[in-house]
Amino acid sequence: MDITYVGENLLPGKVGQLFVILSFGTALLSCISYYFAANHKEEQSWKTIARFAFWANVVAVVGIGTCLYYIIYSHLFEYHYAWAHSSRALPTHYIISSFWEGQEGSFWLWMFWQIVLGIVLVFKAKSWENPVMAVVMLCQAVLGSMLIGVEIFGERVGSSPFILLREAIPGPIFANPDYLTMVTDGRGLNPLLQNYWMVIHPPTLFLGFAAMIVPFAYGVAGLWQRRYHEWITPGIPWALFAVMTLGAGIIMGSFWAYEALNFGGFWAWDPVENASIIPWLTLIAAVHVMVAYKNSGHSYFTATFLVLVSFVLVIYASFLTRSGVLGETSVHSFTDLGLYWQLVAFNVIFLGIMVYLLVKHKKRMPSTPKEEDIYSREFWLFIGALVLSVACVQIISSTSIPVFNAVFGTKVAPPVEPVQHYNKWQAGFAVVVGLLSAFTQFMKYKRTDVRKFYAAAIASLVVAMVVTALVVYITGVYTNFMYILLVFSAAYAVVANGRILGEAIKGKWKLTGSAVAHIGFGLLLIGALVAAATNEVISVNSSNYIAVAGFDQVEKPGDNLFLTEGEPVQMGDYRITYVGDSVARPNVYYKINYEKIDEETGRVTERFQLRPFAQNNPQMGGLIGTPATKHYLTHDIYTLITAAMSDAHQQAQPGDQGGFEDYEEPAIYETNIGDTLRYRNGYIVVEGINRDATVQNIPRRDDDVIVGLKLKVHAVSGESYDAEPVFLIRGGSTFDLFKDVEEQGLRLRFSNIIPQKDKLEVMVYQKPVPEKKWIVFKAIKFPYINFFWCGAIVMTIGFLLSIFRRNKEIKPEKV
Amino acid sequence: MKKSSVIGIIIIAIAIAMIIVIYTDSSTYSTFTEAREKQAELYVVGVLNKEKDLVYNPTVDANHFSFYMYDNDSTECRVVFRGAKPQDIERSEQIVLTGKMVGDEFHASKILMKCPSKYNQDEVEVTEATAAQALSFVPTDNR
Repeated sequence: MDITYVGENLLPGKVGQLFVILSFGTALLSCISYYFAANHKEEQSWKTIARFAFWANVVAVVGIGTCLYYIIYSHLFEYHYAWAHSSRALPTHYIISSFWEGQEGSFWLWMFWQIVLGIVLVFKAKSWENPVMAVVMLCQAVLGSMLIGVEIFGERVGSSPFILLREAIPGPIFANPDYLTMVTDGRGLNPLLQNYWMVIHPPTLFLGFAAMIVPFAYGVAGLWQRRYHEWITPGIPWALFAVMTLGAGIIMGSFWAYEALNFGGFWAWDPVENASIIPWLTLIAAVHVMVAYKNSGHSYFTATFLVLVSFVLVIYASFLTRSGVLGETSVHSFTDLGLYWQLVAFNVIFLGIMVYLLVKHKKRMPSTPKEEDIYSREFWLFIGALVLSVACVQIISSTSIPVFNAVFGTKVAPPVEPVQHYNKWQAGFAVVVGLLSAFTQFMKYKRTDVRKFYAAAIASLVVAMVVTALVVYITGVYTNFMYILLVFSAAYAVVANGRILGEAIKGKWKLTGSAVAHIGFGLLLIGALVAAATNEVISVNSSNYIAVAGFDQVEKPGDNLFLTEGEPVQMGDYRITYVGDSVARPNVYYKINYEKIDEETGRVTERFQLRPFAQNNPQMGGLIGTPATKHYLTHDIYTLITAAMSDAHQQAQPGDQGGFEDYEEPAIYETNIGDTLRYRNGYIVVEGINRDATVQNIPRRDDDVIVGLKLKVHAVSGESYDAEPVFLIRGGSTFDLFKDVEEQGLRLRFSNIIPQKDKLEVMVYQKPVPEKKWIVFKAIKFPYINFFWCGAIVMTIGFLLSIFRRNKEIKPEKV
Repeated sequence: MKKSSVIGIIIIAIAIAMIIVIYTDSSTYSTFTEAREKQAELYVVGVLNKEKDLVYNPTVDANHFSFYMYDNDSTECRVVFRGAKPQDIERSEQIVLTGKMVGDEFHASKILMKCPSKYNQDEVEVTEATAAQALSFVPTDNR
């Protein structure tokens, strides 16, 4: 039987679904037409169809986004997506974040960026348009298929964002035609994602991912159309653009992790983080070899291979994060939406294209018979690319352990200490990469003047050593040889590229971009190393450490500190006081005062307040803390609540007036008029009986006996309160009505009249003494983390400058 | 010897070293019994024993949390964690511990929980307006 549901707004979903199908169809059509247009250049009609289909695809993708946004924005909880990812309480700017919290939304984001890039290509790519757009639209069609959400031969293809709640989740309430009145609110956005970085980080990251297709498409087009040499020149600026945006996206993600997550750091080698940095590193390597090929004619195969594999790795990354294969190894990947095999197919298609083209065209690729000279820039660029690739292989192998388990049915667990495991390798690779990016800058293509090279390289080396000594001494990382080495290599990169930058300003402006990017990279390395190596937990619980039975006392004191409201505790340089909290639903902010006190004078030299907050969201997994950080030029103080009294959250909710659970066991007194009863904060006087008592809402019947007992509560603090609990006999049954004196936490019951003894029974309930509020928190000092952020920004600027330079090198085509 | 072969040999050497290190660094998902035998840092997968008390008294020690867990062989063991109690561990469906056996207790350095959270999309929670409590009557027993 079909049920006619009440109150559903089905139109936006129907329209949205239409756009979904349209986007898939037009992408496929456009892809096929561009394919034929590329192979039959004489026929213009293919290109006309392809372009028409592309513009239809633009309309469809924008249409999907508009419908989905409308559904979320209007709180149409009959749609599963709106229900699962948003709620009414969500501020408007986070509605944007909930848009891409789900897999479907993030696929849409990817498609959206791809059409933006497509528009640029349609206008700018000239003779490259047909083959390049054929590849881009192939990817668009595959992505489009992820959103279809229809069953074909019993297999569900894709997952539509426009599925209705009652279709997505079977439940008894959907037998009710007006079930919508019971689904009043959505589950809301994960509190961890309610951060401003989450508004900007995913779009940037996905622009990076989407941009990776363009160099891939140029590579494919170059081989396919046998324009082997030509594709490199327009490919370089696109590769740089992808590297820049993906890099910025990754750094924003790490800033988000640092600001909002309770990892206690900016990089945790989490599989999801690894998945995004792998293609970034291979494309960086690719850019270097492309430049080397362009200037020397060497390493064509390496350049092409790296460009192609980078995009394949992007797809592999989305397989890792979206298929659910990572399972328990990652805290923040998506779970399987039933797209597992579709994602595998996505990987296989693009891997297949890459392997096929590389094998087929291997023999015809341009090559130079002569080996590279040792004193040549191309040789060391090639070595640098190799080192980056090997570094990637290490990250891929360790991250892919769950994939190996899935393929071979093994049960190997990833390393117990992932951070040490990865750092051990990546620190070594970073040292080599740092050194290479320093001295290679003094090399020339083809043949370098050896004397000039050594003069420049050694001069910078000496300066770098001095800088290293200073940095190591000031930051205190001299305890570990590897740290010193890493600082040295990074410092060498900064100094050497600083020198190049100096020359660039004098006139060799071409080198600016590269020099700036490498300086940024060096700074980033130093910042990451110093912050990661010397961050210390400052909330160490050592002074008032209480040993607990059953616990090994020789263990190091814990990282969490217990604070009671209003009681200052000395923590390192700071005297900290928990001064209370404020509730701004759904968040509770815990105010912690930090004071630095001058030991001699006892005066407070510095004072600030940090307000880490936590959100109690039972549907998302309880109390979720968000850190607060005090930023200084040279270090950060990072504070996170790890446990708190649940009261602050309960008080935020309207209390239940009827229950007795909040009270201690009552004291029962048999009293006479004039008696005095003691309670914790004072005494109660039984003043008299009121025989004409009335009860609200209950009209008096003739045979009712309603008696009020006049009580006066005298608090120690001087106030007094009147209360009149009522006793009632109706039709042989007895009832009583209590009275609360909330100011004193009292509840009074006139519970019985005992005529035999001539006594009146009074029950006195008291609320337990409110426990002092407490919190448990953790504080970490991150020194010199600003180097890391600063380096990241400088590097991005460097990429931008390089894009401008390389873009100018594309010669205007005659069409 | 050609430069390319030298580079090739170096890369192969690094690759072999990497495989060995990844192999030795990787761990296994094991049980309390194995943990007792091996005395090394490893992973134990299991479920929380919800019958027994979870002990966390931040007023006494903010860095001590203990509970009982069944591993995949249904062996029960007391687990001690040096840190604050992870929120919502009571609701967890599965727990992955990292740590080692010390005496009869498992000392965990990391706790990873699988909760029936937002990603578990099989349940609709229905909110119904609760009937307003107009009367605060308490029936007394007739004595």
